[in-house]
Amino acid sequence: MTFFLQNMVNALQWGSFYALIALGYSMVYGVLMLFNFAHGDIFMVGSYIGLFVSTALLGLVGFGVINLPTPFMLGLVLVLTLFLSMCLNSFVGMAVERIGYRPLRNAPRASAAITGLMIGIILETGNLILLGAQRRKYPDELVQIGSTPIQILGVSVTPKKIAIVVVSLALMFALHQFVRRTKWGMAMRAMAYDYIVVPLMGVPINTIALLTFALGSALAAAAGVLYGIAYPVLDPYMGVRFGWKAFVAAILGGRGSILGAGLAGFLLGFIEIFVAAFFPSTLRDLIAFSIILVILTFRPHGFFGEPYSAQLRL
Amino acid sequence: MALLRVENMTHWFGGLRAVHNYNLTIEAGQIRGLIGPNGAGKTTIFNLITGRYRPTEGHIYLDGQEITGLPPHKIASMGIGRTFQNLRLWRHMNVLDHVKMAHYSKITYGLIGAFFGTAKRHRQEAEIEERSLALLELVGIRHLADQIVTNLPYGDQRRVELARALATDPKILFLDEPTAGMNPDELIQMMEIIRHIHAELGLAIFLIEHRMKFVMDLCEIIQTLVFGEVIAEGTPDEIRNDPKVIDAYLGKEVET
Amino acid sequence: MSANHTGIKSRLQKMWQPFSQVPMLGWLVGALVAVGLEMSVGTPLARFLGMSKIPVLFGFTFVLKDPLLIPGVIVYVLLIYILPIGLIARLTARPMNRLAAKLLNTSMLASVLVHLILLYAILHLWSDISDYRLLVTRLTLVAVMLTLSLNVVNGYMGEFSCSHPGFMALGAYTASVFSIVLFVQDNRFGPPLLPPGLGPFAFPLILILSGAVSAVGALLVAIPSFRTRGDYLAIISLAFMFIVKSLFENLEIVGGARGLGGQPHWASLPIVFLWTILCIWTINNFVRSTLGKALNAVRDGELAADAMTVNTSRTKMVAFLFAAFWAGVAGGLFAHILGYVNPGTFDLKKLAEVLAMVYFGGLNSVVGSIVGAVSYNALSEALRPLELFKWIIIPLLLILVMIFRPTGLIAFKDFDVRKLLEPKQKPEEVEHGLAAR
Repeated sequence: MTFFLQNMVNALQWGSFYALIALGYSMVYGVLMLFNFAHGDIFMVGSYIGLFVSTALLGLVGFGVINLPTPFMLGLVLVLTLFLSMCLNSFVGMAVERIGYRPLRNAPRASAAITGLMIGIILETGNLILLGAQRRKYPDELVQIGSTPIQILGVSVTPKKIAIVVVSLALMFALHQFVRRTKWGMAMRAMAYDYIVVPLMGVPINTIALLTFALGSALAAAAGVLYGIAYPVLDPYMGVRFGWKAFVAAILGGRGSILGAGLAGFLLGFIEIFVAAFFPSTLRDLIAFSIILVILTFRPHGFFGEPYSAQLRL
Repeated sequence: MALLRVENMTHWFGGLRAVHNYNLTIEAGQIRGLIGPNGAGKTTIFNLITGRYRPTEGHIYLDGQEITGLPPHKIASMGIGRTFQNLRLWRHMNVLDHVKMAHYSKITYGLIGAFFGTAKRHRQEAEIEERSLALLELVGIRHLADQIVTNLPYGDQRRVELARALATDPKILFLDEPTAGMNPDELIQMMEIIRHIHAELGLAIFLIEHRMKFVMDLCEIIQTLVFGEVIAEGTPDEIRNDPKVIDAYLGKEVET
Repeated sequence: MSANHTGIKSRLQKMWQPFSQVPMLGWLVGALVAVGLEMSVGTPLARFLGMSKIPVLFGFTFVLKDPLLIPGVIVYVLLIYILPIGLIARLTARPMNRLAAKLLNTSMLASVLVHLILLYAILHLWSDISDYRLLVTRLTLVAVMLTLSLNVVNGYMGEFSCSHPGFMALGAYTASVFSIVLFVQDNRFGPPLLPPGLGPFAFPLILILSGAVSAVGALLVAIPSFRTRGDYLAIISLAFMFIVKSLFENLEIVGGARGLGGQPHWASLPIVFLWTILCIWTINNFVRSTLGKALNAVRDGELAADAMTVNTSRTKMVAFLFAAFWAGVAGGLFAHILGYVNPGTFDLKKLAEVLAMVYFGGLNSVVGSIVGAVSYNALSEALRPLELFKWIIIPLLLILVMIFRPTGLIAFKDFDVRKLLEPKQKPEEVEHGLAAR
């Protein structure tokens, strides 16, 4: 039982990353009907932005610019890092949309998909060129926060893991509320429903597109920062590894379904962690993808999608 | 024996009953019409008979053979050709290829012929091309054979659809609002073409239309469909004067 | 005619005019002379111009490493390639047009054979200069097969398939295992089961088998995804690709992640060339037939296709399996060219590359795929000295193409072989033209 609970916690954490990234894919697919294959690399960029932001903030603290009790200080830095990374990365996402996807708004979707792939490659290569092959690490001070394990129900768990899951769920909830209750959220849902007619009613596609990308990229950045404090060593290809699996999770969740993307992300996390617990780690991808393939065979539109449905549903 | 027989066909889309107890007999060479308000289920009936949907209840017989539930391409090759209400042309293809494509079921040169260019394939492709050009001639657009269909004016596009449907060698031709969007001149031309085809090829025609002049002039027997049920069936004169039809669809002149 | 109206464009057009009358035959003969020239005087000329050896890729690599060599390279390319080809093409236009007409009159087959032999001779002589050229030529031919076969699914059928690296992997491993087990003394698999001498003769059969295995793999993708249309093929094929890669990484019997080496070097230039021509020929035949054009009908209006007697499921299935077959054959050749295969090759990067080649060259077009594969490979090799920057330039280039020509450079173009090979001007007209001037 403890074995199960122990892995459960890990699975929730691992799944949080997938879920947050999958949301970005799902929203763009739902609202703009396109696969943004650069999204995984936007996650990577977000993580690196977090790295630099946190280092800069810690530098400020080190220079005594702000003086507050240390644990509180570090917590503040962490929160600021998360917030700032999300903001900055949303600009990255918007830039990608503006430069790569807007010119292709009326082109076949496959061309946009290829463009996304290429943008991703450029982001990865740009990282390698600018930062070199050396692996970067998130600052130790931040990584240390909440890493002392505590015992709950016989399971050894760190507050950090719990916080990661809680923050992820909070962000997903915030997104849900935004899409459900705000005017712009409604506009996004309307776009998902009818791509062509909605702009004729005064809803500007370009703004909605930017907004969708901004939101998705912000969530990806959150995933990046959270990932960074959990698994501090970053590399330029982390986006490729996570991105594609999150993409499949988004599809598994159903087109445009936020709830679905979240659930599927967590499911993927579960599958990977539990498979790794029982089988040699090299089989992890094989088994995870086989399971997903089987699910998709019998339910190709995913959990909450409908065949040919065009709704951003929750 | 009737060429086409539909018996007690009923179809549900989920909880919505779209067609109720529909019956139809078409004799060889007959021209029949189907009229009714929008949303009555006319195109649905076409889709059911041509195999796009499998009817929830009922049976369909072509030439005595049951075709209920067969895949659409099989039914098409057995002798039911159709056109579509909203033109469904293949936008990157030229006119000739459209008509050639409808010969698919007649092709016997198989994959070997397709991959390796055997003599049989060349022979068959030449035959198909000849037949296709003849069909284009029949509907009056042979000179447009090499044009990509999206470059053509609407009236010509409709003729392409017609020629394409004819290429399947149909015993019955299902025409779904063939004059939609046409001006009076084009309408008369279309009427002429359909009469011409009917005279030349002797096939039966089943026609959905909203233009009363067109329907009344062409059809021998007309069914009126309202909310998925046939409320009247008879000759154009009978339908024209049927109070139920006038009520539901045709309308009356207001007494002054 | 006022001199002011003769703009640059019309001037260029006038300059090109005599060349537009050169038949394919003329160009091929010109190229043959050029490579012959390179073989005989290439090295001394290169040395004279300041290069250490013959520039293997028309000088691009030299220039990028040492810009001072630019003038030398330009002179070299002019003297060895541009001038000889241009001169010969222009001067022999008349006799070549006559010859081209004569060949076509004899039979299409005769004309095609002559052209193919010439083409092969050019490639052979060109790649004889260096091992690098030989490798690049063969790998480019394999890339043509991959691109063309993917175009059948992504272009002609209008789907988005991500499983080609998986099919390639299946073919590569199948071919490798059969070659090695049957014909090679190997540490892992032991002594050959059949006389090694028979190997090269069995190679075609092995390749066909590789293609067949890939086609069976394609069934695993097709059956779930063809029941519904839309983006499901993309996702299922993507999952398939990951599964195949992971499968081979875990299959210790074929080397796992470390890969499998020791394939005999049977994939010589003539063999690869022949298979590529066969691939182009069968695919072109297919897409020009009514059976093949049914793919376009399925893509552009499946409902209408159904109503016009087209068996859409069978059409899709056949095309998909056919494409997978050729991807498998390409994989088998690939493994034997390198003499080594490992699962890491068949990953997302490979997918991105093959997709790039298809979309860059042009969808729904045999010519487009050939152009796409050749130019992508040429670019990739030429920019190699730039190392990482290569992967900024190439993606940027592709994005530009996508923005300005979303369906690719040469999309929706029919490959009319007869038109390609026919004389560009009737010989009698050539006489007339000269007389009129």
